[in-house]
Amino acid sequence: MDRSTIGTIQVRGGVTLRASPAREPSLRVVTDQASMAHPEEGSPEHRREILHGDVHEEIQSLEIAAQSLVDFPEAAWELRLQLARQAWDEVRHARTFLRRLRELGGFRGEFPVIDQEWGLVCMFDSLPGRLAVQNRVFEAGSLDVLKQASDVSRRWGDDVTADVLDTILPDEIQHVRFGNEWLARLRREDPRALLQAVSAMSAARAWIRALAPPGEGSGHDVPENTEDRRDAGFDLA
Amino acid sequence: MTLNVKERGDHVATFRWIAVRWMETLARWVPTTPETEAKLAFGTHLWDLAQHADWLGQRTRELRLPVQHSRAPTPEFVNFLDDLGATAATDRRVAAFYDCGLPALERRLRAYVAAVDPLLDGPTVRIVERILFDMERMKREGAELRAELPAVAGVDAGWLEAQRARDASLANVVAPRPAEAVPA
Repeated sequence: MDRSTIGTIQVRGGVTLRASPAREPSLRVVTDQASMAHPEEGSPEHRREILHGDVHEEIQSLEIAAQSLVDFPEAAWELRLQLARQAWDEVRHARTFLRRLRELGGFRGEFPVIDQEWGLVCMFDSLPGRLAVQNRVFEAGSLDVLKQASDVSRRWGDDVTADVLDTILPDEIQHVRFGNEWLARLRREDPRALLQAVSAMSAARAWIRALAPPGEGSGHDVPENTEDRRDAGFDLA
Repeated sequence: MTLNVKERGDHVATFRWIAVRWMETLARWVPTTPETEAKLAFGTHLWDLAQHADWLGQRTRELRLPVQHSRAPTPEFVNFLDDLGATAATDRRVAAFYDCGLPALERRLRAYVAAVDPLLDGPTVRIVERILFDMERMKREGAELRAELPAVAGVDAGWLEAQRARDASLANVVAPRPAEAVPA
């Protein structure tokens, strides 16, 4: 694994994360969720802040997929192809969210950003660990979040943003699906992959709890998007 | 130049190796390049290169080589790509790919198409034509990146010319097979 270019940082709760990727000086990068902006719920500023965060999350997902291509050159070509495709999907998503942000009068750099998703996922030095945490935990979580965000946007009368979210959702389903499929295949080929995946998910959950500021909770407290999770390969009761 | 099946397989596998190497280089640059627009361009084009590698890798199987077979180019060309990939400043990275790497591969693909029988080697020619079509778009998007981000457009002309001259000096990038290597 190529860890030569980006080091580590220690943040809240004594958690060690991969340091931020290279960022433009105009971006205010924070390392603590407590330092993020908290605009009034439903305000125009709040809507822009959500989109601003969406842009940054997509860029982190691009960076994670790209870094996995770098770190695991011996992975099966078909899996590398999926990661490369995911990278392009994340680019398109970032551009789409950025366009919508600008339509609403916002701009990149308007709010602080945080690189915890990148920092956490890129701490794992096995591909099963990365797929488990990035594709099965974070991307699967985005299935729930995107569905809820679409519903909320429509309630706010913002059908344009809701349509954007609805359009991005199928791509995210595919990212979760290929993560699930490849984890199953890697596990069949080498039982250690299961241990790597379970261990990574366990560590990630502990770090996510430790990273949450007091009183803000660490939970993924949005309703589960069962239909899309099932479509992505989760075996739901 | 008339190429037999073995030589055509070696060319296709070499082109695949180069496409994969550039895919990996762009992937490495995505998190280590600060400018968002450059990051997004690299992220877009690494997927193009992955598809090119995949198409070429399917063709290698049809040319008596394993599926998705790659073959390293000559050591001199590998060193050239290594040096381009080691650039750190964004303006040089942009120039290294859009002004050196992409044209270098494009020129060799065009030379290949010009050298083979388009009927006998039709499947490879079709693949290369699709790649060349993509490359036109990739170069256009590279130009759009520089129009949007002038700070990455002003690369040192002397550095760029030196890279181009180095590439021009590397006529044949397909490494000879060990048994065919000329004794020192």
